[in-house]
Amino acid sequence: MLIQFLLIAAVIVLLVFFLKNHGTTKTAAGVKIGFLLFLVLAVVAVIRPVEVSKVAELVGVGRGTDLLLYALVVAFGFQTINTYLRFKELELRYARLARAIALRNAEAPEPPQDAPVVEAVERVEDPAHTS
Amino acid sequence: MADQSDVWLVVPVYNEAQVIADVVRNALQTFPNIVCVDDGSRDGSADAIRGTGAHLVQHPVNLGQGAAIQTGVEYAREQPGAEYFVTFDADGQHQVADVVRMLDRLRAEPVDIIVGTRFKGDDSHIPLIKRVVLKTVVAVSPKLRKLKLSDAHNGLRVFNKKVADELRITLNGMGHASQIVDMISQRGWRVTEEQVEILYTEYSMSKGQSLINGVNILFDSALKTGSRR
Repeated sequence: MLIQFLLIAAVIVLLVFFLKNHGTTKTAAGVKIGFLLFLVLAVVAVIRPVEVSKVAELVGVGRGTDLLLYALVVAFGFQTINTYLRFKELELRYARLARAIALRNAEAPEPPQDAPVVEAVERVEDPAHTS
Repeated sequence: MADQSDVWLVVPVYNEAQVIADVVRNALQTFPNIVCVDDGSRDGSADAIRGTGAHLVQHPVNLGQGAAIQTGVEYAREQPGAEYFVTFDADGQHQVADVVRMLDRLRAEPVDIIVGTRFKGDDSHIPLIKRVVLKTVVAVSPKLRKLKLSDAHNGLRVFNKKVADELRITLNGMGHASQIVDMISQRGWRVTEEQVEILYTEYSMSKGQSLINGVNILFDSALKTGSRR
């Protein structure tokens, strides 16, 4: 059936598109346009359900509601990937932030007991270095 | 014994208070420079490290082993005189003698990084399931076969300044091992491996990564294109 081909094609295209262009301005703009289209279609579907059913029949789905359901499933999968990638990116930034803090507060080992007591300064040279 | 003052041991630590002080003291007898990266432990690992003579870098929150290694390497590579770097597990699995041997090779041979392997000699001491899974990973990975590596998930690695400067681990969790393999092949680091012994004590077995975690590693690796920049 045509719908099967369309749905699978949509999933693959979205996946490839997202993994390739994730995080660029172009993608962000694409998402917004997609969202607008989605809103327009939603309004059309509410006002003229018959038209949706016609489109559904055209691609080989029984009813307009079924078509909407299928489209929703694809959109949901797409959203899930998007969220996952965003989380990964945030995690990376968060790690860099934590790393910067960790490196600033690094503690070098205390000098040997008989040495004069010096306040622990960050990144003092290891006493073993100079020996 | 050769002077090891140009060597830095990077030890990622997460909830290892029981054993970390002994592991560090033991390693300090050979290697004067050790940096322990406490990855947000909640069991007082940091206090155990203080006073051993190792440098201590503390993540304010738990990030994962990959992130801890990256932090440790970034700390160590800024230290004056640092030429060689070692990633060393905190649970006492790794042998100092193996590290010394790997360093001797790294100094003498034209390689950038030496990875430890459990599979060059007799491997009957490795738990059977672990053996099967680890060997399967190698069998299905064309990259590992091309680089002639037999054990990608060995935590013991020795590398030079070039590798340390270029190292950028972005997978915070356990996926970093495969990411390092990717970097080896992408950046053309010269790699070889060395037979090492892993002590499977009861303690390390209970701490080691569970095999089910392999699923997470595979998933992260498959999707890591997303975090590339």
